[in-house]
Amino acid sequence: MEPLLRVEHLSLDYEVGAGTFHALRDVSFEMMPGRVVGIVGETGCGKSTLGQAIPRLLPEPPARIREGRVVFQGTDLLSVPKWKMPLVRGTSIGMIFQEPINSLNPAYRVSDQLMEAVRIRKFRESGETEVFRPAEGFDYSKDRPVDPKEAMGRTFLPSPPAARSAGARRGSEELRIDALEYLRLVRINDPETILDLFPHELSGGMRQRIMIAMALSEKPTLLIADEPTSALDITIQAQVLTLMKELMDEVHTSILFISHDLGVIAEMADDIGVMYAGSIVEFGPVGEVFDRPAHPYTKALLKSVPNRYKEDGVLPSLPGSVPNLSRLPSGCPFHPRCVFARPPCEPDPGPSLEPVKGAPVGGGHRAACYYSDEVFRLP
Amino acid sequence: MDERRPSSWSSTSRTRLRKAARAARSLYRILRANPLTFVGFIMVMFIAILSVLIVGVPFITGLFGTPVGILPHDPNELLPCAVPTECAAPPSLQNWFGTDNIGRDMFSRVLAALPLDLVIGFTVAGFALLVGTGLGLVAGFWDTPGTVGGTLSVAIMRVTDIFLAFPSLVLALAIAASLGRGTVPALIAIMVTWWPFYVRLVRGEVLAVKHLPYVAAARAAGVSGLQILSRHVLRNILEPLIVYYTMDVGTVIVTFSTISFIGIGVPPTIPEWGSMVESYEKLLLTAPWTVLAPGAAIFLTVLAFSLLGDGLRDILDPRSRRALVQTATAPGLPAVKASAAEA
Amino acid sequence: MGRSKIDLAIFVAKRVVWFIPVLLGLITITFFAGHASVRNPCAVWVGPHASPDTVQSCIQYFGVNQPVWDQYKNYIANLFQGNWGKDPQGGTPVLPVILTLFPATIELLVSALFLMIVVGIPLGVIAANNSGRWPDHLVRLFYLGGWATPAYLGAVVLAIGIGPVLGLPNSSDFSSTPDPGWQITHMSVLDSILRLDGAAFVDAIVHLILPSTALAFLNLGIATRMTRSSMLEVLPLDYVKTARMKGLSDFWVLYKHALRNSLISTVTVLGTTAGSLLSWIVVVEEIFLWPGIGKYAFESILSYNFAGTLGVVIFFAIVVVIANLISDVLYGVLDPRVEWR
Repeated sequence: MEPLLRVEHLSLDYEVGAGTFHALRDVSFEMMPGRVVGIVGETGCGKSTLGQAIPRLLPEPPARIREGRVVFQGTDLLSVPKWKMPLVRGTSIGMIFQEPINSLNPAYRVSDQLMEAVRIRKFRESGETEVFRPAEGFDYSKDRPVDPKEAMGRTFLPSPPAARSAGARRGSEELRIDALEYLRLVRINDPETILDLFPHELSGGMRQRIMIAMALSEKPTLLIADEPTSALDITIQAQVLTLMKELMDEVHTSILFISHDLGVIAEMADDIGVMYAGSIVEFGPVGEVFDRPAHPYTKALLKSVPNRYKEDGVLPSLPGSVPNLSRLPSGCPFHPRCVFARPPCEPDPGPSLEPVKGAPVGGGHRAACYYSDEVFRLP
Repeated sequence: MDERRPSSWSSTSRTRLRKAARAARSLYRILRANPLTFVGFIMVMFIAILSVLIVGVPFITGLFGTPVGILPHDPNELLPCAVPTECAAPPSLQNWFGTDNIGRDMFSRVLAALPLDLVIGFTVAGFALLVGTGLGLVAGFWDTPGTVGGTLSVAIMRVTDIFLAFPSLVLALAIAASLGRGTVPALIAIMVTWWPFYVRLVRGEVLAVKHLPYVAAARAAGVSGLQILSRHVLRNILEPLIVYYTMDVGTVIVTFSTISFIGIGVPPTIPEWGSMVESYEKLLLTAPWTVLAPGAAIFLTVLAFSLLGDGLRDILDPRSRRALVQTATAPGLPAVKASAAEA
Repeated sequence: MGRSKIDLAIFVAKRVVWFIPVLLGLITITFFAGHASVRNPCAVWVGPHASPDTVQSCIQYFGVNQPVWDQYKNYIANLFQGNWGKDPQGGTPVLPVILTLFPATIELLVSALFLMIVVGIPLGVIAANNSGRWPDHLVRLFYLGGWATPAYLGAVVLAIGIGPVLGLPNSSDFSSTPDPGWQITHMSVLDSILRLDGAAFVDAIVHLILPSTALAFLNLGIATRMTRSSMLEVLPLDYVKTARMKGLSDFWVLYKHALRNSLISTVTVLGTTAGSLLSWIVVVEEIFLWPGIGKYAFESILSYNFAGTLGVVIFFAIVVVIANLISDVLYGVLDPRVEWR
């Protein structure tokens, strides 16, 4: 099967007054349709940047993509003209943000914002407007993504809200019914009332449900969830996660799940990518990576998770902190904090993501460490 | 933890030097990223140095003998010309900005007005800054109702409201006109009407800062009001004040020259840009340089301060700076190197 | 405290009541500033060559020999009876004159504000959206240029230099304005619409172009700068990204989602700077000979016409307060989180 999303050697810098931050360095991974890929890492490791770089949401400047490709359904998104990117967003790639407080527009009612999303999807479904289409018959063996012009070469019609024809107005009742349905889908009890409220009149958990409803109402092929539960209370968190799992089965969406919480990732993801200092240091099926990590960072990270079955002893913590992305240490960026560090680690440039020796072939377990097989073999 | 403290003066000075170097480097980056601000900075420096030279050179040479100015002519000197009433000559190599209708060198006249306008800009805005900041701090910080400070702050805000409820130029005009004509009445009139902007600005900032969590925390920890004021509040309002002051110097210059334009500011013998535009207004179509030269001078002076101030706002204003940084959610903390042995 | 219509009414009423002491304070300051510093205004009013008898009768007539405090009490008492004093030179009552001139000023003010909003806000959006690149630098240069141009310079250049070139009526060319008998609102544009007079309408618009352009260009910075900086604050926020991620085009993201929230601060600033617009209106009206209260204020101040000056002061203060009130109400309309209090 062809991967839905293939990120290849993506490198991205931020150029701000204080210097150049190498936020993403040579990030590569693949995502198969219908799978949930979790991206995990400490604060500032670049995982949110990765999530926003895929639909090209980052303002340029300060962001600057140095190299790489983001191949989505056979089209390299980085070579799509900027003004055509909105056609990819929403119906093809949806997104849920971290802060439910800020992710709904305070000036508009829930109905307005939710119906806007539904309307965009309906316009695109009806064929009245240009849409993004997966490249048909693309062949990865040639390693040439389909020309973006071919992928989106339909005639251009005004963007959805602009085309407020009489038909659209007649359909507004229909949109409302659709919006209500999505509110019920995210288990909101009193959707009629909620729909007419302003975001500030709702609780954080409620807002996050609306965000999820909004993203789902466009039926995206790929949903990027950037720490969707981190800002919520622990009880609400569990509810939202359960909800998302149920919805995955109902709506058949592939999810890129970004979180700093290993527990959440273990719960949700099929595959996991561990990020450190702007690059993916380990990637593989969740069970395998959790059972037998092949990168010292993953190992340390897993160790620092509180274990409720072990009552005594000091909670192990990872010494040091995430390096400054504008002044990375030479060699492997993890070596100053690494217990396994020894010669090729320091003078040589950091190792790239290679299949782990000894791991099941075809499982796709890869790690970026000179001693990955050694780490992998450890109990 | 004693070892961590810098043990000698030299190490502190070295850290200071390093800090200064880092500050200079980031200043350079910022200026490079904001070319307009850089241009404004250069212009302001040029204007300031030029006006110091215009006043300073004749003064210093005057101490040792006959004063020598850097201007090519005395601003009121009548240059010889054929028909006494039609002396206006276009710009030439001898008279860079041409001459006016009675044969005075426009270049000298325009430059001679520079120090006066600049000094007035700095003084009035400075006076307003001091008075306004003082009153604004009182009104913002001691505003508990029922106390002496509370009553005082209500009184201050009422008076400020009165001034703010009115176009300041009109009030300044009315005051200047009733005080009689001249430079000093115009100066007093602007000073009287100028400070309320600062009261509102400072009070607003104080109220905003006062309720920030860390100030509340300092208060809860028993830090006295004055200490909070000096350490937290003043530091936080400094940046918006610098920005506002920089732009305000330009605004004061425009207001002062407007009063002169109307004819109740400086007497006609002293060259001033506003009064020059007024007196040459009729020549705009026949000898445009007489109007455009002083006009360009005031335009460039005010533009210089606005460019600098507007750019400083983007650089200093925490809110817009935050906006700039937020787009790049990159960690700015320096790396702490932990040795492998420690692990 | 709420968002109902009654709450709004209470809010407006409170603001109007609050305005009364401010207005009284303003009148007091202006009154004493004028009367205390000019000891014998009659000498100015009747001219340097008048006979002592004339000066004496002037003093008697206007009562300027009375203590300033008594004059003040008289003035305030008369004010509430609708007698706002007389122009000492022409002898015309002040209030009717101001009432006929006032609409013309409002007309100029509103058209300048209209230009500021229509041109200034989109410029601010463009600058913010291209922050740090050349469109941003150009827009900033443009509005700072307007800011740095003194009102008199801009008005003189437009009135004497550019107006004739474009064939627009210049300052001394108001001959084609309709005769006063036909005026209903004293606003030339509105009057021509009410009379259904197409030619007069075009004429009125043509007359408005230069003065309102002068006024708008000088103050464009207020709208543009505020829009730019608040857009810079709003654009990186998550809800703007949410809007982008819905698949909305840049235009809708900017003008529906981001601008709506940026306008909240722009509107506040536009309201509070109505005062500065009025400052420059005095100069612009005088140069374009626009028949409004700005020009009247200018003449009153220069001829020591205290009654006229005070009358204009009152009207200007009312305009400022109404502008503030409108901006406060708009603020509440734009931001659903605001409660009237």
